[in-house]
Order: sequence, then structure tokens, then C-alpha cells
Amino acid sequence: MIDGATATIAERVREARNARTPLRIVGRGGWLDAGAPVSATNALDVGQLRGLVEYEPGDLVLTAQSGTSLDEIAAATNAHGQWVPLDPFGTNDGSLGATIATASFGPLATAYGTPRDHVLGARIVTGAGETINVGGRVVKNVAGFDLTRLSTGAWGTLGVFTQVTVRVRALPARDRSIAIELADTPGAVDAAWHWLRNTPHAPLAAELVDPARASALGLRARTVMLLRVGGNDAAVRAAVDDALQVGPAEELPAQIWTRLRAGEPRGVTVRASTLPSRIESLWARCRDAVSPWDGTLCASLPRGVVRCAMPPGNDAEVVRALRVMGGQAGDVSLVWERAPSEVWREGTGRADPVRTRLGESVRRAFDPDGVLNPGIIVQ
Amino acid sequence: MNALAERLATIVGARRVLTRVGELRSYESDGLPGYHHRPALAVFPGTRDETILVVRLLAETGTAFVARGAGTGLSGGALAEGVVLLGLHRLGRIISVDGDNARATVESGVVNSKLTRAASEYGLHYAPDPSSQTACTIGGNVAENAGGPHCLKYGVTLNHVLALTVLLPNGEVVTLGNASGEDSGYDLLGAFVGSEGCFGIVLDATVRLARDPQGVRTLLADFSSVDAAARAVSGIIAAGILPAALEMMDAASIQAVEASIYSAGYPTDAAAILLIDLDGAVAGLADDADRVEEHCRAAGARAVRSATDPEDRARLWQGRKKAFGAMGRISPHLVVQDAVVPRTRLPDVLAQITRIGTAHRVNVCNVFHAGDGNLHPNIGYNATDPDESSRVHAAMSEIMQACIDAGGTITGEHGVGLDKLPYMDSLFDAPTLDAMCALRDVFDPQRRANPGKVVPVHSCREWHGASSARATVAR
Repeated sequence: MIDGATATIAERVREARNARTPLRIVGRGGWLDAGAPVSATNALDVGQLRGLVEYEPGDLVLTAQSGTSLDEIAAATNAHGQWVPLDPFGTNDGSLGATIATASFGPLATAYGTPRDHVLGARIVTGAGETINVGGRVVKNVAGFDLTRLSTGAWGTLGVFTQVTVRVRALPARDRSIAIELADTPGAVDAAWHWLRNTPHAPLAAELVDPARASALGLRARTVMLLRVGGNDAAVRAAVDDALQVGPAEELPAQIWTRLRAGEPRGVTVRASTLPSRIESLWARCRDAVSPWDGTLCASLPRGVVRCAMPPGNDAEVVRALRVMGGQAGDVSLVWERAPSEVWREGTGRADPVRTRLGESVRRAFDPDGVLNPGIIVQ
Repeated sequence: MNALAERLATIVGARRVLTRVGELRSYESDGLPGYHHRPALAVFPGTRDETILVVRLLAETGTAFVARGAGTGLSGGALAEGVVLLGLHRLGRIISVDGDNARATVESGVVNSKLTRAASEYGLHYAPDPSSQTACTIGGNVAENAGGPHCLKYGVTLNHVLALTVLLPNGEVVTLGNASGEDSGYDLLGAFVGSEGCFGIVLDATVRLARDPQGVRTLLADFSSVDAAARAVSGIIAAGILPAALEMMDAASIQAVEASIYSAGYPTDAAAILLIDLDGAVAGLADDADRVEEHCRAAGARAVRSATDPEDRARLWQGRKKAFGAMGRISPHLVVQDAVVPRTRLPDVLAQITRIGTAHRVNVCNVFHAGDGNLHPNIGYNATDPDESSRVHAAMSEIMQACIDAGGTITGEHGVGLDKLPYMDSLFDAPTLDAMCALRDVFDPQRRANPGKVVPVHSCREWHGASSARATVAR
């Protein structure tokens, strides 16, 4: 049995197929200015698909319509001492559907993973206009082929999410954040990384910010590691004490993370990633690449990912500099989040032909007439 | 058959191609004793290159095949009726272990526990720990998206695989995922994990390794009712404590274990026991253990004790890990299920299972990963007794339906394979099953890799249109 909202979406997709008028999927509009080259003028608005469908706190599972904002989900779960620890960069009024479709993640991915680790199931209208119910509503499930994982991060090119089911976690009993200043000397970032690698206290988040970003957050203009630890009293006290060996620390308010995520400049944004042990070298290279244009950096130390966010303007030069940096460093992957359309179209430039072919076949299978977000190439 | 066998022998050596009925007998079943499917032949490449040549030959001749690791599967996924069985257990090389980055690259035939042993010198281990871990292979774990008791805290295979080198059924080799950075594009890696050998073969896998916890506490709580144990589980989870493992066993399972060589000292008069692992930094561990004990007692536990040392802990866990083996000792055959229900529905589903067992006069033993609602209701019986067999299968169908009706799923970790195929129509609607077929056809358009498994054949449109090369071995 399909809900009315999904049936309406399915009807729109079928009409678009018949009329050969492709659609751009829009949730709450957060991604409209990312530069993704969608060559469709008609919008398929899923932003009004809002509200919880099912939430049983004892099951640690929640199903919501895809246009529900992360804020709304937070309000509903916090009331039961729980949360869905998905914290993509940007603001919390982004939709659950967009977060999953773009596989966006933030600092809490250190402890809780990226969207692929959160999604349990979904209701999807495919590009063929079919409604499928993938996955399920339980936390362990290997029944059938994993269409849930296939759809996560597919940028709406395989189908439109109308409902998404995610894991819910208990809020940690204590949740503390501190800022640790790192010395501005070679080896300092590496030392912080080694501390993280060896500490028995697994943090919720460990993000490195550059001096400009630190300053924007109201801290001293230094390279700073923002550390978030959760657990019972004794565990959190011990974790904070252990972290003090890395550098001078100051206590942070809980809101620091919201401000970090919402405070990025809105120009070209790319995630550069490498083996975590090489983070210091990647950090230095990213700093060199972005500093001529006042870009800022925020890196997940445990995951080996450096977010480079630039102020608007000078897009072409910025992209060139970042590409050169990515090419030189070897074993560095670049994933563009916000970039001029040409960059999206060109892709990573490193696609293996077999993998490309598999991707194209997947797309044709689920959206045979190319009606959903045409122009976005997922590679 | 002879022609193909000869050509395969030129690749792997004559010793590694089995064609005689006697030699093939051990490959007629996997971990489920009730099936006997004889392969047309079995071939065992010893290296990555041999494997590629074998699969290319099978592609050239349009031959269907089934990949098999250690054959410990519990869903009939590695059964190869009349087709080529491709055994991968000889691909046993640990290619690299990176202690700094806590990852390892291993060939698909590496045994799960062997990987953990290799990681141990770095203070690391491979977290997905199915009970068969001393025999099962990483390739098999990837195919089934294997879990294990510690997946409650640490996640399942999917959460640990960073990259795979996949050999497609057409003989092409492709890397899915990214071993040294973020992956981008469609999550083909995520789609491949758990695809039960229907999308291709894993040549090697790069996986995350987990840090050995600084401290571990193992608790054993016993209860005079299953309901009370289930309440304790809910209390622990709701309190925000995430144990590393939270396992429940009912009276029948306890008695089976205690009567066997795996005896762990479980109280044989308990209606249910909870076996709980808490791990992490030592600071804070005692507090969490105290609270877990409080929740157990508040729910009515008769006794709660902590393992006193590593040997005690290992003994308590051995009982749980060898439970299926202990049950197998009692009856000639064992039907094993693997359903998952929402945690809050556990008590009433367990009550239904008891009623169903009584109604069909069969003995159900329940062992389960209570923390995530993953049940293993097992029934021991004699499969040569047709009356008992039919009662057992009727009971299992009803149990499965009860789990589906409670909002659950038909398999949490064992996979669909052949054994759970009949339930796929109850769980998924036709368009969804068709979408699964469409995904498989992307990887294996000729439908030669593990044909007939996971998705019911009648659910796949154009099945007959794609049949030109789906032939079972005919040469």
C-alpha cells in the first residue's frame, strides 16, 4: 500500500517520462546553488513531504517523509533522549532526503559513520515511475540485494526518496567539547593524529580547523583541534584529561558544532581525502592551495578528509589549484561538493572504464528515459 | 563436461578439478545439513590469476557457476546443483596489514579469525565475528554481509569494507570503493556487499580493523522468564548503554550447550540467560557495568555475575558460539532461522514462537542477538521422518510469517540463498523484487553467477529473454 504523497510523486514522474520533460528534484533547496549541472527546467518538489511516519524509541529506528528537516527530526528524537547523529555541513533545515541522496556527512561521522551507515530503508519512486520499498525498518537486514546502499549518494539520479528509515541512537549521558591548540610546527598535526590513533577514548568528533576558521569561531587564530567526547561521567572526564597532553585546551559550548557547520564560505567546496596517516601532509598542501584565495580548511583527522571551502569568486583558478594539488599528492581523492558545472561534468577524471560502464548501466536500469536530475553524472 | 574439466585442469592442475561423485560429496551441502545439491564439477584455483582465467573460461563457454568459500553458510547460497562450483578457499594470502591506518588487504579465501590473528600484533582485530569465524572466509563474509555478536556495537561487514577487487562474471576485474580515501560515485561497493555471489567474485578485500578495547567486562545474567530477560534488554538499550554484544539464550539452548563438550557453566534451570560484553576505555567501564547489572536486576534477574578472567570470559562465550554445534549433537538435523524483529516486539514474538512450537509438537531452541532483535529459532529433528519434517517446516513458515508481520525481516545475517527464497514474496513487493533483478543484471547480464538464488526467478521480468547463456553445464 502506497501513501498518497508517494503516489502523487510517482504520477509526476510518469508524466515527465511520457512528455519527455525531465525533472530537477528539489527538497528544501539547500543544494540548488552547488553548481550541479541539472539540465531540467521543471522542478519536482519533495520539500512538502514532511513529518514522521513511524518512530518507536525503544526500537531505535525512525521513518520520516523525505522532506522532513534534520531540525524536526532532532526535536522529535531529543524529546526521548535520542538523536539521529547525522550532521552534514550547512544548516539543520536541510532535508533528510537530500542528506541521504547526497551522502553528506559532518563531524559526527567519526563515531557514527556516513549516511550509508545510518539508512535502514526507504520508499523510492524510480525514474521509471515505479515505487519500490527498499531495505526495511529493523537495524540488521540482509534480505535481497542492497538497493538502499545503491540509492544513498545517488544524487536523485536513480529515484526520488519519499520516505527514509534511519537508525536512532541514545544521546550520550555526557557530551563535552574542547578546543586544543596545536603548535605551528611541523609534526604537530601528525602528533595530534597519533594521539587520536592510540587513545582508548573513541571521540564523537575530532576536527582540525585552520587559524582563520578558529578565529571565526571566536577562538584564538591558531590551528585548533575541536574534540567532542561522549559517554558516562567517568569516561568523559578521563577522555578530556587524556586529550590535554596534545596541547592547551579550552572548554567549548555545545553550539560550536552548529556554528562550525554553518560557518563555511559558500564558494567552491571540495573534500580531499587520503590515508589518515598522511593527514599532516595533505593538510599542508591544502593550506598552500587555498590560502591565496582566503579559503578555509576543516579536516576530520580520524577519517583523513580535508574540507576546503572557498569564498565565492575566482572559481576557475581555485578549481585549477585544487586539482593540481590533488594530482601532485598521489593517492589523494577529490570529491566536489560545490563547484562550477563544468567541474561536475568532467568528473574526477580518474574513472575506470568498467566502473563507469557499471554506473551508466545502473542509471539506465533505474531511469531509462533520463527524467531525474539529468546532467548530474555520478562518478 | 569432460571438455570443460580438461580445460579447467590446464589452468589449475588436474588435482584441483573434481568430477567424481565421491569427491564432490563434501560440496553437496553448506552449513545447512538438509540440502544435497551435487555440482557438475568443482574447481579450486590457487591464485588470483588462475581465478581470473577460470572465470574467463566459464564466460567464454557460457557456463553457470557458484562461488564457495568455506561452505559454512546457513542459507544454501553455496549450493551448486548441476553447475560448476568455484571454490575460493585457496586464495588465502594476507596481502598487507597497515597498523597505522588500521586496515588490511586480504584475498577472499582468508579465514576470518586468521585475519584477526594477523592484526593482533598491532593491537587490532577484525570486528565482524560470526560464530563460524574459525572456518569462514572473508569472501564469504562479504557475500553475506556477515554480522556476529559484536556487530551490535561495531557494525556488520558492510561497515568495515573499504574496497573490493571484484571479478565480474564476464571476466573483467574492477575495483569498487577506495582503499586510500573517499569513494565517490554510486555506492557499487555497498551494493556488492551482501550480494551473495550473484554479482561476481571477490578477489581481495580491503577492510577496516578495529582497535582492541582497553578493557572488557563480560556479564552473565540469568532469568526465570524470557520476558524478564527481554525487559532487561530494553532497559539497557533505552538507558543509552551500547554493549559490545548482548546475547540471549533460552532454556532449550542452555540445556543443549550444557550437555555438550562446550559446557560453559550456564545455569540449567534458567528460563533465559543474557551474555553481555561491555568494552572500551577502562575509565567508565565499571559504571556502565554497574548500570547494566542494575537493569538486569530491576527486570528480575536471579543472578548476575562477571567473568573473572580471560579464560572465564572465553568459556562463557564458547557456550554461545558453539550453540548450533551443541544442538546438532542432539538431533540428526537442524533447521536454523535468522529473522530480525523490532526490539520492542521481541517478547510477543517469542511468545508466539513458543505457541507455534507447541502447536506443531516441535522443540524450538532460541539463541539470539537480543540487542538488535536478530533471532535464531532453531529446531532439531530427524529429517528422515516425513511427519516430523513436515511439522518442522510448517512451524518454521509460521514463525517466519510472525516475524514479518511484526515488522521484521527474514534474514539478519545468514542471507537469503536458496533457503529463504520462498519468503521473499512476503517481504518485498513485485516492483522492488524486479528492481533487485535489474541491479543484478547490471553486474551479471547473462545470469550465470549463482543463478536462482536470492530473488525468486518468477520475479524477474525478461528472464526468458536473457536465457541464451544461462545454460547449466552442458559441455
